[in-house]
Amino acid sequence: MDVSQYLDIFLDESEEHLQNLNTQVLALEQDAENMDTVNEIFRTAHTFKGMAGTMGYKRMQNLTHDMENVFSKVRDGELKVSAKMVDVLFQCLDALEEYVSNIRETQDEGDNDNQPIIKALNAMLDGSDGDDSAAKAPAEEKKAEAPAKEAASGNKWDSVVIKEADYKKLDDAVNSGKKLYGLNVVVQDGCILKAARAFLVFKAIEELGEIITTDPSTQDIEDEKFESDFCMIIGSESTPDKIVQAVKNVSEIADCFIGEYTVNTPGDDMAEEPKEEEKETPKAETKQAAPAKNEVAPAGKASPTAQGSQKQGDKKAAGKPQVSHTIRVDIEKLDVLMNLVSELIIAKNSLVSAATASSSSGSGSNSINEHIEYLESVTTNLHESVMKVRMVPIESVVNKFPRMIRDLSKKLDKPMELYMSGEETELDRTVVDEIGDPLMHLLRNSADHGLESAEVRAQRGKPEVGSIFLDAYQDGNNVVIEVRDDGNGIDTDSVRQKAIERGIMTEEQAYATDDDDIIQLLFMPSFSTAKKVSDVSGRGVGLDVVKSKIEALSGEVEVKTKLGEGSTFIIRLPLTLAIIQALMVVVGGEKYAISLGSIQTIEDISPSDIKIVQSKEVIHLRGTVIPIIRLDEMLDCQSERKPDANMVVVIVKKGDKLAGLVVDELIGQQEIVIKSMGKYINKCKFISGATILGDGEIALILDSNAII
Amino acid sequence: MAYELTTTEKNELSTNQITQYIVVNIGEEQYGVDISYIDNIVRMQSITRVPKVPSYLKGVINLRGVIVPVMSLRIKMGLEPDEITKDTRIIIIKTGHELVGIMVDSVKEVVNINSDEVEKVSFDNRDEHSGYVMGVGKQDGALISLLDINAVFAEA
Repeated sequence: MDVSQYLDIFLDESEEHLQNLNTQVLALEQDAENMDTVNEIFRTAHTFKGMAGTMGYKRMQNLTHDMENVFSKVRDGELKVSAKMVDVLFQCLDALEEYVSNIRETQDEGDNDNQPIIKALNAMLDGSDGDDSAAKAPAEEKKAEAPAKEAASGNKWDSVVIKEADYKKLDDAVNSGKKLYGLNVVVQDGCILKAARAFLVFKAIEELGEIITTDPSTQDIEDEKFESDFCMIIGSESTPDKIVQAVKNVSEIADCFIGEYTVNTPGDDMAEEPKEEEKETPKAETKQAAPAKNEVAPAGKASPTAQGSQKQGDKKAAGKPQVSHTIRVDIEKLDVLMNLVSELIIAKNSLVSAATASSSSGSGSNSINEHIEYLESVTTNLHESVMKVRMVPIESVVNKFPRMIRDLSKKLDKPMELYMSGEETELDRTVVDEIGDPLMHLLRNSADHGLESAEVRAQRGKPEVGSIFLDAYQDGNNVVIEVRDDGNGIDTDSVRQKAIERGIMTEEQAYATDDDDIIQLLFMPSFSTAKKVSDVSGRGVGLDVVKSKIEALSGEVEVKTKLGEGSTFIIRLPLTLAIIQALMVVVGGEKYAISLGSIQTIEDISPSDIKIVQSKEVIHLRGTVIPIIRLDEMLDCQSERKPDANMVVVIVKKGDKLAGLVVDELIGQQEIVIKSMGKYINKCKFISGATILGDGEIALILDSNAII
Repeated sequence: MAYELTTTEKNELSTNQITQYIVVNIGEEQYGVDISYIDNIVRMQSITRVPKVPSYLKGVINLRGVIVPVMSLRIKMGLEPDEITKDTRIIIIKTGHELVGIMVDSVKEVVNINSDEVEKVSFDNRDEHSGYVMGVGKQDGALISLLDINAVFAEA
């Protein structure tokens, strides 16, 4: 068995544990007395240590080990949580994160021992009295537990059948001064890779002694043919405690019971019995013995091969990253998917039979229509479910931000607090992966440029602690993420000044341009208003990156700001990228699709309602003046509508802006699959793609954002 | 014929290469398209116009669920616009990862042309469409202009 095949799981779990630790340590900083938090950190650190150890990442194991020690003391009330301690812990988490990212890229943890952090951790341990007792206390606790449970489990290992060939091993073990132990290892409920865990247990024990036999057989254990526990007889020179400790260090091992093992038959017979058997059944027995030996062999060999493959893994270090993108899916979502696929098959079958029926009787068209409707509802649901499988909460991305804001607050010496809401909002996995960087830029931007220093805030009568809000919510077909701060807001005049300095605009132009357009300048590459370039931001690489990243995800960014009161960056992202609900329209005999998400209303307008304002056509609709865009003119085709007939106007919105698109005819709403037209013909900015309609015809998709 | 080929092969084995071309008719002329670029040849079908693109780009077609742009070689080379007949075909060309279709009047045959039967053409900048031809191949006395596929799609 090769440990490297569990690398993906290890990395996934590590990231989860790290995130958990970060969150918990932050909570600890707020409330140092909370024992639940301390316990949670201790448990997580402990599991983490075990995982790193079994994967063979020694440096990671050492670091987590020392961290665990500190927490074991905190838990026992011997050490108080201090600000300094939290700082060291965060450093520690950063170091661990580095290990994990090294492993992800090269399968190797790197060679940074992080000695200073380990020293700092140990210094904290030494800072208090009797540091040994802390380490001993939990061990003793476990000692006390073990025998108690041992009795309850009824020494399961006593029932292990010792095969003939193993008697000799037992003998050898005893003769070489090893003690025999029976071991019952219980795997946690819901453990996914029982065989892997068992293998890690084997590996751990082989470091301390020798495995004589197991029940079920080693082969069965490797094939995962066991329920929740397995027994083994081992010979070892170390103490039972050490063995139990080693086994429990493997993650997802619920418990391990140990007891001295005595062969059922009295001492003298032990040696004789097998001999007698041998005499009685000379041939049959040896045949049985031979496979038994083979069965034991893999266990013995497992360790060296595993180590070998690990070394191979180390050698692979220079190679390309081999980690695949995984997604953890709620089993319920998969169940729904499975049901739908079954229904799809049923629908197909009934369609087939209906088709046969209609060809024989000629009266089946009604029933075919019925089946087609059924098929349609199944495919729609199937699509929805598949999309849901791809959806993950943005939690995984935003959870790292509280920690980041805390660090920024220290670095910039500005008190600030991050409030988040809507972390459970779900987005497509690909979008979630990409959204992290832009959000980080925006938050840093708010922290550095947005919020004023404590003194300025006090002068302005604001609370000294600045607030940054990160709110996510679903709005129709979009997901909206807002980054808001109660800081200074954007000083449009200083942006104007900057634009003039940079030669982007003349003075006249700058003052003729309205504030909204001036703010758009901030999204230009290398345009920063920060007076000083700081370590955090101000190099002008932030906002343009944000904009291009978001636009690459077919989203948009909007800014609202009020000088002195703060600013809000609003990111709008489509829920899905591949399939959208669209309104099909006809312009000049050609079919076009308009994304339903951008449509506000559809109006029937008489040509006489059109007014001319600044030589542009507008309509006045419920108190708003809306510019009119004649799609036939824009798309170079001839409208088939009579000039004096009423016009169908589709009102589309982009942020706050509205526009009315004049079309010839509405076809209706339809779910369309967006297809790329390829870069060769991708010249028309009004067209964002194409789709294939039911009859095989192609309809182009209008990008209303580009039209407005 | 087969004998001729083998002797030429023997004589100039190191320098000569035989390339297969599909011969198509555009107007009065015959053009050869290197078969290794060709993905498919399909009959004329309805083309969806795409607004605001150069006139030689006729639009897009649905090729088994893939959207493929189609261009008119005639317009690109400054000839009369295509007259669509029952012989009109769209040749689907692979360029990199993308497919592009070109409309031709008809498809004639597949020929093997030895590289020593290809004459390089001297470029005449006044002649608009000579830029798309990389050489002229001789086949049974007929002249076949060999299309330079990369040049045809270069300006796109």
